[in-house]
Amino acid sequence: MIPVESESSTKNGIKVIYVAKENILPFLKEKKEEGFDTLLMISGVDYKDHLEVLYHLLSSKNNTRIIVKTKTDGEVDSVTSLWKGADWHERETWDLVGIKFKNHPNLKRILLAEGWVGHPLRKDYPMDKKQYVNLADDGEDTVSFDRGEGY
Amino acid sequence: MMGRIQFPSTGGRGTDMEDKVIEVNFGPQHPSTHGVLRIKVKLDGEIIVDAQPVIGYLHRNAEKLAEMGAYPKGMIYIDRLDYVAALNMELGYVLAVENLMDVQVPERALWIRQMMVELNREASHLIWLGTHGLDMGMLTPFFYCFRERERILRIFDEITGSRLLYNYFAIGGVYSDITPKAIDMIKEWTEDFGTKLEEIQSILGKSYIYVSRTKGVGTLSAEDVLSYGVTGPMQRASGIKRDLRKDSPYLFYDKVNFDVPYRTEGDVYARFLVRIEEMRQSIKIVKQVLEKLPQGDFYNKKYSKPMLVRLKATGESYVPTESPKGEFGIHLIGDGSSIPYRVRIRSPSFANLSSIPTMLKGYKIADLTAAVSSIDPVFGEVDR
Amino acid sequence: MSDSILVTSLDEALKWGTGKSLWPFTFGLACCAIEMMSAMGSDYDWARFGSDVFRDSPRHSDLMIVSGTVTKKMAPRIRRLYDQMAFPKFVISMGACASAGGPYVRGYSVVDGVDQVVPVDVYVYGCPPRPEALIQALKMLQDRIVAGRVKH
Repeated sequence: MIPVESESSTKNGIKVIYVAKENILPFLKEKKEEGFDTLLMISGVDYKDHLEVLYHLLSSKNNTRIIVKTKTDGEVDSVTSLWKGADWHERETWDLVGIKFKNHPNLKRILLAEGWVGHPLRKDYPMDKKQYVNLADDGEDTVSFDRGEGY
Repeated sequence: MMGRIQFPSTGGRGTDMEDKVIEVNFGPQHPSTHGVLRIKVKLDGEIIVDAQPVIGYLHRNAEKLAEMGAYPKGMIYIDRLDYVAALNMELGYVLAVENLMDVQVPERALWIRQMMVELNREASHLIWLGTHGLDMGMLTPFFYCFRERERILRIFDEITGSRLLYNYFAIGGVYSDITPKAIDMIKEWTEDFGTKLEEIQSILGKSYIYVSRTKGVGTLSAEDVLSYGVTGPMQRASGIKRDLRKDSPYLFYDKVNFDVPYRTEGDVYARFLVRIEEMRQSIKIVKQVLEKLPQGDFYNKKYSKPMLVRLKATGESYVPTESPKGEFGIHLIGDGSSIPYRVRIRSPSFANLSSIPTMLKGYKIADLTAAVSSIDPVFGEVDR
Repeated sequence: MSDSILVTSLDEALKWGTGKSLWPFTFGLACCAIEMMSAMGSDYDWARFGSDVFRDSPRHSDLMIVSGTVTKKMAPRIRRLYDQMAFPKFVISMGACASAGGPYVRGYSVVDGVDQVVPVDVYVYGCPPRPEALIQALKMLQDRIVAGRVKH
């Protein structure tokens, strides 16, 4: 049994479990073996002093769901070995919230262009500082703070 | 940008296989991408060796912008997520907000919501059917589907005043009541849509070309479906009978009678049949709602429009709903102010689309459009 | 003298021909693309106005309808598609997002107006515009082409 830090629940009664970030991979593995076979999404929340990673799990047989949370300073273990779908969700969390996933096979930006500066869903992201995307000769994106020739 | 083909340097036949793998770029502008999907396809002759989707060409910052305004203001961005089924998106948001704030909603409003959501599911599936026909090289279903869809849109126009993006569901109810004229229109529609649907189904389902291009194509096994988190009609076509309307009913889905269609083949044709059957079940639901629609208020008088922006909330809430594409839900975290601290959107198309590498591997390049369109991706929702 | 009369009338005929046979480019970006499809669908049927042949390649078409939000990542690609179109070419900016950023104007990855990337002939307002509005924009563009009031 992996120790649980604390438990609470959402307003409509979905169980929320806090786990230490070292234990996240074994804990989720244990939950998968218990029957939580679907990973619905991974999301990140910026609480200014720390970051949190949320895992929404669903058991399709028993029709129960839990939310597993872990506090981190910017790095957790990747769960791509458990669910293939975790790949894109982890890339998105890295892209928008800036949480690194250790041992992820291809941790690149997914929604924004490669080379973008900053992580927009952080609360301190400067919204007034505009960035522009241009196409390089090989068809890949380049990001710059000035407009470039395309605009 | 289109069709950037690098031919093997050795050329000719009879060389070793590794040199024959060519890379083809599909999209982001292509008539069969349903928006702005780009797939990097590696081909060995005609066989797909690897397909990697590239997304993000419609990333519109819905989550960030919803975190910058009051709770009801987030609705405009939620509306535009899955723009062909905007009411389904709105439903996910209002249910989460109402759950977070403990708002009571009058019974009539809930029934109206249920009917509107089912009508919008029909409109969404009709768009899918029409464009799926286009991708398979048939122009006729497109015109049939759009003719039927316009009838649903006229009903929406009568009730909400808008054709595509409605902003109709409000915190505590709906913005306007259903008029008697709209009820007549819906009744007329429920009576003959079934036969029209059969007509559309027969165009595709009785076509030998269509069936042979879709049977056994783009197969996803039940294990892959669970591993990728695929939900909705795609999941049901792969033999997993899950529908949130039945499994964890919200609104009044437990008070109406309908079946959950499912098949076990997991190919494009199975998804076609599942979606067509879902449309039939939706007609059934709309008919029952019309019979059961109670009289009363259509919104909670405590939550009038001007005071909505002052609503405050704490805690967190996640309410899953069944959108036409799969499980849609919004994880809301409130910090006690009138602006949500975190709005996290669980978008079904995002997870469904991530299964493309597994789905396409080993099939021919001509099967790509069939398989991609059977996912029914809507890019407002994939990229958010 | 006779030469100039001949040239002017041929010019008029060319303008008339260009205006009445616009070939739009099948290029959907976002929500507005659905309304664009409605406009070409059964009820609105904009083939009535001489613009029915939707082309899938930029090389075949001369009218680009920018239907939806232009993101930073998509903008250079729109520019490249525009460059690939053959002259004469025209652009309709459909909806609030393509015209000025729309509800997403405060966002970090949205271009506030496609006119920063390609020259626009007609703007259509609405979010999304109704198909009637798009048809009106098409008529407006045709009238301007026939009257010779387009710049490129």
